[in-house]
Amino acid sequence: MTQTELRVTIRGEMDVTRAVLDAGRFARDFGFAEAASMMISTAVSELARNILRHGGGRGELRLARVEDGHRSGVRVEARDSGPGIADVDRALEDHFSSAGTLGLGLPGVKRMMDDFEIESEPGEGTRVCACKWRVA
Amino acid sequence: MSQEHAGSLTAAELLDLYGIASADLDRIRKLGERIVPKLEQYIGRFYDWLEKQPEYHELFSDPEVLHRVRSAQIVYWTEFFRSPVDEAYVAKRRRVGELHARVGLSLPTYFAAMNLCLDMYSEGIEGDAETATALSRMLHMDTAIVVETFSRLISQTIAEQSRSLVAMSTPVTAIWREILLLPIVGVIDSQRAQDITGSMLQRIADTSARVIILDIGGVAVVDTAVANHLIKITKATRLMGCECTISGISPAISQTIVELGIDVGSVQTTATLKDALERAFRRVGVQISGD
Repeated sequence: MTQTELRVTIRGEMDVTRAVLDAGRFARDFGFAEAASMMISTAVSELARNILRHGGGRGELRLARVEDGHRSGVRVEARDSGPGIADVDRALEDHFSSAGTLGLGLPGVKRMMDDFEIESEPGEGTRVCACKWRVA
Repeated sequence: MSQEHAGSLTAAELLDLYGIASADLDRIRKLGERIVPKLEQYIGRFYDWLEKQPEYHELFSDPEVLHRVRSAQIVYWTEFFRSPVDEAYVAKRRRVGELHARVGLSLPTYFAAMNLCLDMYSEGIEGDAETATALSRMLHMDTAIVVETFSRLISQTIAEQSRSLVAMSTPVTAIWREILLLPIVGVIDSQRAQDITGSMLQRIADTSARVIILDIGGVAVVDTAVANHLIKITKATRLMGCECTISGISPAISQTIVELGIDVGSVQTTATLKDALERAFRRVGVQISGD
């Protein structure tokens, strides 16, 4: 059974656990190697935890298979309608944390994935979209 | 526990939710004047139906139970038609729900039973739409209180099960004099990280261990939060004079940690449990002969 899309509503730690385990399976089923699958599920973990911690505690995570002509990959998308990020550039700097954590989550996701986009406005929530391409 | 579920609603809120006005309650009482004196007959018809249900023999194998439930049912419907809907009324309905859940009555049978009651009590009021509406609203409210109790008990069971799973998931084991081992499998969330830290430190205190090996080979992901927990755990054990080695760092985990940019600093790590064990034996002064 191959899935082409996966959606998980994030409302609590249990949902993060489910999203992480499902994402790892999704990536491996699609033919990603162990290390790349681990990075995809780690990215899902970071983004899902961000929804809980900074995104108003509620949001959605979506994984989808994507194609762009000559290559295929997995797109991870996280959305929330939380307070948004005041300074997106700073949030992408290493060791910048607003919560006493390591401050490597978002920049880490950016490094682990191949493409990375973030949209956020104060009061308007946050949307992060990141792709990882499969090495043919 | 969330306070949003219907189970925490007050009697007044429930009446409001189901659109039951005091005029409706008056209509129910009026109807009750006719029904309550004949309840024995109604309940008799109800049991004629219930006997044909597959669950009947399972639930009522003991005639004494049957007798008790039957009398309780007379009380239930007498209250339905006569009592004010107050907190005591709602609490009694919740107890009915708990009882049904405990004996394992299925929800489809419960709904069918309530439906049958609605049919029986509606006989003779076909021309009186207002009373019919009041009756069905009250019945639905009663049903909702009972069903909500059912689902609350189920979520309670799930919560208890996951608590016991957590308790089982931190099996700190003394594998040698002064050496402890804790294998971790699955996903580490912040609650679990706290449980792990707590049980590790307690076991270190109890056994005066000098080395603890934390094997994370079965962990699904090491993200920044998990890494942060692991770093804190090793710092805490070191303060107690116990060296912590994290073993089971797979190639995938190690690449992920590097990409995340985590500085593991002075945390001791090994690829395999075997390497961690050898290091532990050296530290406590055990010589391994052979290989």
